[in-house]
Amino acid sequence: MSLLAINDLHLSFGGVRALNGISLSVEEGQIVGLIGPNGAGKTSLFNCICGVYIPDTGAIRFDDKNMVGLKPYRVAEAGIARMFQNLALFDYLTTMENLLLGRHHLYRTSWWSDMMGAGRYRDEEIRHRKVVEEIIEFLNLERYRKHPVGMLPYGVLKRIELGRALCMEPKLLLLDEPAAGLNQEETEDMARYILDIKEELGITQLLIEHDLSMVLDLADAIQVLDFGQGIASGDPDAIRANPRVLEAYAGKQAAP
Amino acid sequence: MPTRALTTRHAQDLELFADRWAKAGLVLLVLLCLGFPFMAGNKWLVVGLQAQIAIVGSVSLMILTGFAGQISMGHAAFIGIGAYTTAMLGEHHHFPFWLALPLAGLAAAAVGMMIGPFALRLRGLYLALITVGLVFIVKHMLYHQVAWTGGAKGMKVPAYLWFGGDAPKLSDYAKEPLDLGVVSLDSQQLMFFVFLLLAVAVVLCGVHIARSNTGRAMMAVRDHDLAASVLGIHPARTKVLAFGISSFFAGVCGGMLALQLSYLMPDGFGLPMSVNYIAMIVLGGIGTIFGGVWGAIMFVVLHPVAEQLQPYVPYFSERTDTLFSTVLFAVVVCIFLIFEPLGLFGFWLRIKRYFLAWPFRYG
Repeated sequence: MSLLAINDLHLSFGGVRALNGISLSVEEGQIVGLIGPNGAGKTSLFNCICGVYIPDTGAIRFDDKNMVGLKPYRVAEAGIARMFQNLALFDYLTTMENLLLGRHHLYRTSWWSDMMGAGRYRDEEIRHRKVVEEIIEFLNLERYRKHPVGMLPYGVLKRIELGRALCMEPKLLLLDEPAAGLNQEETEDMARYILDIKEELGITQLLIEHDLSMVLDLADAIQVLDFGQGIASGDPDAIRANPRVLEAYAGKQAAP
Repeated sequence: MPTRALTTRHAQDLELFADRWAKAGLVLLVLLCLGFPFMAGNKWLVVGLQAQIAIVGSVSLMILTGFAGQISMGHAAFIGIGAYTTAMLGEHHHFPFWLALPLAGLAAAAVGMMIGPFALRLRGLYLALITVGLVFIVKHMLYHQVAWTGGAKGMKVPAYLWFGGDAPKLSDYAKEPLDLGVVSLDSQQLMFFVFLLLAVAVVLCGVHIARSNTGRAMMAVRDHDLAASVLGIHPARTKVLAFGISSFFAGVCGGMLALQLSYLMPDGFGLPMSVNYIAMIVLGGIGTIFGGVWGAIMFVVLHPVAEQLQPYVPYFSERTDTLFSTVLFAVVVCIFLIFEPLGLFGFWLRIKRYFLAWPFRYG
């Protein structure tokens, strides 16, 4: 039984077919790479999984539960966390507060005890801060703990965004171009974190990335999309050798 | 040299008054608040009461607009509902004021939670327009439900200390001060301490919200509601909750205003009042409770200051109306918007940073 099973997913905006019958399955503990040229439908697929878009037809099953039509916060509660392509951090809050927001749905106190500053609320807050502190250590964010994130550099923001997703204690992590805009060193750090998440935390990951050498190195399995359809899938070596993938990226060779 | 203490435990991060400087400030503030009604003359005592009312009102607006990002022009309506609920419960049903105030809050909260769902579909200016509509509806009701509100003639607000029409009232202490042995308190001073308790309670609630999971969720919805919902935050619930909490406190603010004025007219609860409260939170600094409190104090204190200055300012010295205080306030708000968009809070941050870094230029 795979952790995430997507079957024949269709999504269109007016006449534009963003997703045209995608099927995909993600096994527990794997890193699955999702690649394809711009406009292939990778981010649309993420939005469907998260409940931001509702697909026209098709099934999304996560942990053997139906995800189609659920609101985004229900999907989050089910155990799917997401890192956005364009950063979606809260600029005026500190790193600590951004990370704590990842744990929002795990708080057991009501707004009433929050507002009253009750002892129950303090215990809960400290409990969550301890967990967040572990994530901070995991991603080496100690020195930015109390900085408002609006003033931090891009590479650090990407790490905070990853941290916030990890704070949700997800079963499945959706990474939308975690290395976009990072320099060589930061990209290598990010790759290391992704492997650590797999090996130390055991979280299943679905990875969109344009840095092909990174995906081919990290992923256990790869799915290639083009024009909203799956055109190839398999392990990295098979994808490297697949002529259809090369065609999607580089175009067909002209007839001699 | 004032330096920050090193935090070593999570509990230290949650303390309201973390270091000795904050504790010293707290002691000073408490002394000032307790001494104020005995040092101030009658005129400044009224200014103090108005400031406490404004603090409650602007903190409540700060929760809705500053934290949850829902622009509301309807605060005058919530305050009006609170004020008239207090007045009607007192005048028609002889409720004591300490019971009428929370009920006034609940009445305003009920209306606020009815407006809340509009905020799920409408944003920014469109929501502001809906709340403007609420102000007109409430004002219309106040004018035309003459049997309840006295219409344009207005109505009295008795502050009973206990149930029943013949129960003693707060105003009874005006002629005969309450003798506590060490000090004696007249009705205005008593009211100051009652309002002080209320204002401190509301400010504490606001601070707790700002620092807790609930407040963070509100700010997340304000800054990026799609990201918030993907994180597991329920945007609709958060917005309606913000409306509920905010309008409850606004209702309490209205009740306090009713007790202080002791006679209500519908005219006071129009759009200018809403705009004043928005100006207060902008002046204080959007998104912080500090801004809500100090913006309100600054707004209230500017009026008597303007009165003192008026004779020395050309053109305005010949006028007898309150135009000068309005103009002065407008100028102050404009100066702040241009030079310090974070308001008094930004000003405070700069002062704090200067002393934290002293004797160096940067910390």
